[in-house]
Amino acid sequence: MSFWDSLLYDLFPLIWSGMITGCLYALGALGLVMIFKCSKVVNFSHGNVAGLTAFLVYGLSSGVLMSLSWGAAVLVALLAAVAIAFLIYSIISPVVFESDLTSTIATLGFGLIAQGVTLLIFGADIVALDLPIPRFAFSVLGLLITGYDLTVLAVAVVTIGALFIIIDYTKLGIAFRAISENPFAAEVCGLNLRSVHYFAWITAAILGVVGALLIVPTTFLSVTTVATFMLQAFAAAVIGGFASLPGALVGGVLVGVLMNLFTFYVSPEFSSTFLLAVILAALNIFPNGILQKVGGSRV
Amino acid sequence: MNDLLSVENLSVAYGAGAPAVSSVSFTVGHGAVVALLGANGAGKSSIMKAVSGLTPATGKIRFMGEELLSSPARRRVAKGIVYVPEGREIVGDLTVRENLVLGGYQKPAAERKERMEMVLDLFPEIAEKVDRQAWRLSGGEQQMLAIGRGLVANPKLLLLDEPSLGLAPLLVRRVFDRLATIREESDLAIVLVEQNLAVTMRLCDDLHFLRGGRIVGHRGAEELKDETARQEAINAYLGAAAA
Repeated sequence: MSFWDSLLYDLFPLIWSGMITGCLYALGALGLVMIFKCSKVVNFSHGNVAGLTAFLVYGLSSGVLMSLSWGAAVLVALLAAVAIAFLIYSIISPVVFESDLTSTIATLGFGLIAQGVTLLIFGADIVALDLPIPRFAFSVLGLLITGYDLTVLAVAVVTIGALFIIIDYTKLGIAFRAISENPFAAEVCGLNLRSVHYFAWITAAILGVVGALLIVPTTFLSVTTVATFMLQAFAAAVIGGFASLPGALVGGVLVGVLMNLFTFYVSPEFSSTFLLAVILAALNIFPNGILQKVGGSRV
Repeated sequence: MNDLLSVENLSVAYGAGAPAVSSVSFTVGHGAVVALLGANGAGKSSIMKAVSGLTPATGKIRFMGEELLSSPARRRVAKGIVYVPEGREIVGDLTVRENLVLGGYQKPAAERKERMEMVLDLFPEIAEKVDRQAWRLSGGEQQMLAIGRGLVANPKLLLLDEPSLGLAPLLVRRVFDRLATIREESDLAIVLVEQNLAVTMRLCDDLHFLRGGRIVGHRGAEELKDETARQEAINAYLGAAAA
């Protein structure tokens, strides 16, 4: 196979599928970054809570719990994610303003609880969650594009676009950015810091559910599937600087592409090791994130 | 009885050490300008933070007849107590316009827009730069933005903490000229913490001298025309003998 054939048949498809998966990592990373930016908590329960809600969609649409339509099941799962995020923040909010570390450790506990509840209700079996994603494929310049790819792209563009519009152009977005940069100034202006924290936690939970539901069709659903997916999202957030929303987006796509290339060209067994190496390299080369600015502070 | 703000036996303590403020009492009338004067560590900023609800305190804080000691900061802003902190504390990544929106966050959109226009008329220096990120402004412009942000909230009482800090004399004069204009054109009361005695005396009706967290003296602005009283004020500022 010539070099150009290799590009056409291996590299470009790998980059394309990496970008698609990367969009999902970006969704997960954006949730982590939103929470960290305004409440300074690294939410380690993000993956397990998203996993629980993915199982909820499975249970509600497969007859295990109920036999709802998938749309109704997704809606219930989203409401459940919102309720869980609200509950978790309500419980830890008294310590959020006292200690970032205590709050962060508390989220580890909530993650374990979410995993335990998932095991209790759905067991340890691996299941298949079949969402009605269009099943078609066509080729553009030799690149195979599937209905799944376009669905992920469309959902990611709409979700991330809506998020950025809210953050950049609404009063709530101004409050979110103000609290993220200078909570004292926000308090001086009479803002309710907790209500903006709730906004970040609930938005992150919704992003987590969307990411989890779209990653599951590429694999099976187990208790650890979504938590593992969130590890890549965590890496994406780190690459982005953990306090930059655009950085999380770029980090997500970068992790998706790099992981795909490494898995194909080097070794699938060492992909987790590679991910850690990427995080370490990013921390050393871009300690403030890949989109770090010169002057001013990070957005 | 008709005081806008009445502070009684206000005490503030950080941790187990000596209190930053001990049993401080003073009043502020409608439209009055009251200055708190003292050396660094005298407790001036702690009083401002306690009145604005940003630090826990004991005692009584009555505003327009309502006890506010246990109210959170956002409720005090809604009532009309607005704090412009030392060091400006603007949000650098937000634009000038967004900082002003933040100042009027609790106000309905129409009122906020009206107040923002008023502020931009008052401070034409920042009006030219409404879409610029605040960290790109000069020190004087940032101070104008900080005061303007406070004014968008349509306060009845403005707590101004060292507005001249770090500014060139010409800019200090400009900022205080604007404050004088605000005072002339509205019924706004101001509590001013300031190190610049000359500009403070120009603007204030009353001065309270603080030392070691206590009010150790009080003079009306008229009295300060007397050389002895003025020396007492300077001593208080320097942390020397009590006035």
